[in-house]
Amino acid sequence: MEARPAFSIERSSSNQLNNIGMSGALPSSLSVHPTPLEETYPRFSDSQPAFVEKGLKTRTFNHSSHISSSGAVGHMFSSSPGYSTDLHHSSLSPHEKHSRNAHFISQSMSNMASVPLPYSSNNGPLPSTTSTHYSNGSSASWHADSLPSFLDFSVNASIDNSQVESSACNIMATEEFPKRNDWQEWADQLISDDDTLTSNWNDLLADNIQDLEPKAADPISKSSSQFSAGHQSQGHQQLPALSGENNVGVAPSSSANSAPAKPRMRWTPELHEAFVEAVTQLGGSERATPKGVLKLMKVEGLTIYHVKSHLQKYRTARYRPESSEGAAEKKLSPIEDISSLDLKTGIEITEALRLQMEVQKRLHEQLEIQRNLQLRIEEQGRYLQMMFEKQCKSGVEPFKASSSAIGDPSGVSSDTMKDSLAKNESEASKTDHCRSGPDQANGSTTLEESSLQDTSKVQASDDLKQNDNEDSAQPPKRPRTDE
Amino acid sequence: MKFGKRLKEQVQDTLPEWRDKFLSYKELKKLLRLLSTAPTSLLNGSSIDYGKAEAEFMYLLNNEIDKFNGFFMEQEEDFIIRHKEVQQRIKRVVELWGPNGSQPSEADYKDEMEKIRKAIVDFHGEMVLLVNYSNINYTGLAKILKKYDKRTGGLLRLPFIQKVLEQPFFTTDLISKLVKECETIIDAVFPAEEEAERAKEAKEAIVVAGEGIFRNTVTALLTMQEMRKGSSTQSAFSLPPLNLPDSDLIQSIQLNAAVPIV
Repeated sequence: MEARPAFSIERSSSNQLNNIGMSGALPSSLSVHPTPLEETYPRFSDSQPAFVEKGLKTRTFNHSSHISSSGAVGHMFSSSPGYSTDLHHSSLSPHEKHSRNAHFISQSMSNMASVPLPYSSNNGPLPSTTSTHYSNGSSASWHADSLPSFLDFSVNASIDNSQVESSACNIMATEEFPKRNDWQEWADQLISDDDTLTSNWNDLLADNIQDLEPKAADPISKSSSQFSAGHQSQGHQQLPALSGENNVGVAPSSSANSAPAKPRMRWTPELHEAFVEAVTQLGGSERATPKGVLKLMKVEGLTIYHVKSHLQKYRTARYRPESSEGAAEKKLSPIEDISSLDLKTGIEITEALRLQMEVQKRLHEQLEIQRNLQLRIEEQGRYLQMMFEKQCKSGVEPFKASSSAIGDPSGVSSDTMKDSLAKNESEASKTDHCRSGPDQANGSTTLEESSLQDTSKVQASDDLKQNDNEDSAQPPKRPRTDE
Repeated sequence: MKFGKRLKEQVQDTLPEWRDKFLSYKELKKLLRLLSTAPTSLLNGSSIDYGKAEAEFMYLLNNEIDKFNGFFMEQEEDFIIRHKEVQQRIKRVVELWGPNGSQPSEADYKDEMEKIRKAIVDFHGEMVLLVNYSNINYTGLAKILKKYDKRTGGLLRLPFIQKVLEQPFFTTDLISKLVKECETIIDAVFPAEEEAERAKEAKEAIVVAGEGIFRNTVTALLTMQEMRKGSSTQSAFSLPPLNLPDSDLIQSIQLNAAVPIV
């Protein structure tokens, strides 16, 4: 399960639908993003305690059996009661709920094949902002608002792979309105009043469950197929931006426009050259039409939207300098009188500009250096991980040999290394111990390459050994690292 | 909270259209705090809860990354256009007033040159700020991922950051190239002057406000320096301290920035 989420941001592979799906379907008009997070957090912490209710739990159990029977719908169902328990979860309520939640989840899980999960079902009941955004037609913002504001995630998202999440997201975009209104109602009631909330919610749950079931089956299949179709077109790998001419660098994330299937284009100077040529051929930026330019450019993957927006930008860029140049003539005459002052100011301005230039250059230099360093650091981390994985496969070195090597103070923080190592070993019990190796090792070593390689190899084998012993005994468990 | 504070400063000083395009670092930290306080110690439930938490967190991060990518590529496109325009403009000036063209008046020439210089310097500045934008968001992501792993015992950081490295907003090579080209153009456009005199004037020069570009640049540099000072959590993944010559000059600029000339 861990492997999946980790690759959620992968854009090149069409299997990794998660991020691509989301971004493709839901343009990120995220200017609203930061505030809702802050606003809604308190809201949820307020309403949550009210949810700690009795009836809900039993309800969840009633449904779980229901779910086991119905295939496609099953999981969606799990989400709605799951929703209640999710809220419990986020409200820091007692453990018992979690046990039920978990139990219930595992039940429904076992009945799931590779069913596209309707993410919507969980997110519908989220703050009314969600549904309002939705009814506005732009599927963009709600996603940004609702999920972040809602601490919890659907059971769905976690359990299965990224595929599920992404298909669900797109399902959101293509969902039917009636269902949405149910959610809106639900959501509004949810947010409005704490006391009556629970009872309302119970009622709603009862009502909606009937509604959900029949509707669920159809939209899911329909939208998931739509999704995959839409997705394919966007699933281009990000082509290197510099291979300008005939290749169009299409990035999956879309711009602020609300059209769903609008992959973002990464322009290059070469591409722009071709653009300018086409425009001049057509008689200038005012005369040229997007269609004409598109035809003339003959670039694969370039759509008329790209050309249109680019042409617009081009026109504004041209207009500004030209107008300022024209205005320059008029400004000159009054200034000419104060010639001496003008001269002095001129020099000062030039010097100021020079200074500004210097500082900017400096910043750029440092940024480049910093970026290279960052790249190297991560490269190193990646290398280590590779090494650990190799070790994982080839077996584990004897503990004794490695523990003696630990004592070797090859790095500044060798003592802290030992301590953290011990701590890590006692706590570690991960499903994927190979991957845990590098992170724990890296957390405490210095930048020096040689020392890093030696000691981390050593640490890796230690971790591996420990993890092997522990893993076999217990089921996977996430440790809570103390701070 | 050091980074958070620095980030906030940067956002405050940044160009107004950029303000909401930065990483929502504070919000993510809040979420993290809430995530880690939720009970996860149950045997059966915990891995699933954890999975949910991770998915949610990743979802948010992905959203942020989309935001960065979108904004970055939009700006990049603008810069590509402007770059070409600057080149065209200079070419026109050369054609008009160069060896083959007419002789402009002193005032005209000066005026035009001033305008061009200012335009180029500002253009250069904006591009550098975009690179800075990319970098600071990357740093923020790396930090928040590190915090995430620390608090939840997860393994999100390493693989996730690898993906981030490939994102458009982080691949700033093109912009850097444009910046360098700009620097060569600038040398041609600025009048040559003696080294010593220039240095003196530079020290005395009052900052030209430049729509906040300069101020933002200075803040960015100082921020970078601050962030790279040794910290308690220095590790193999930390950057070494920044060695900025003239850092006191830059700091004094920041203090003097209140007196603009234009």
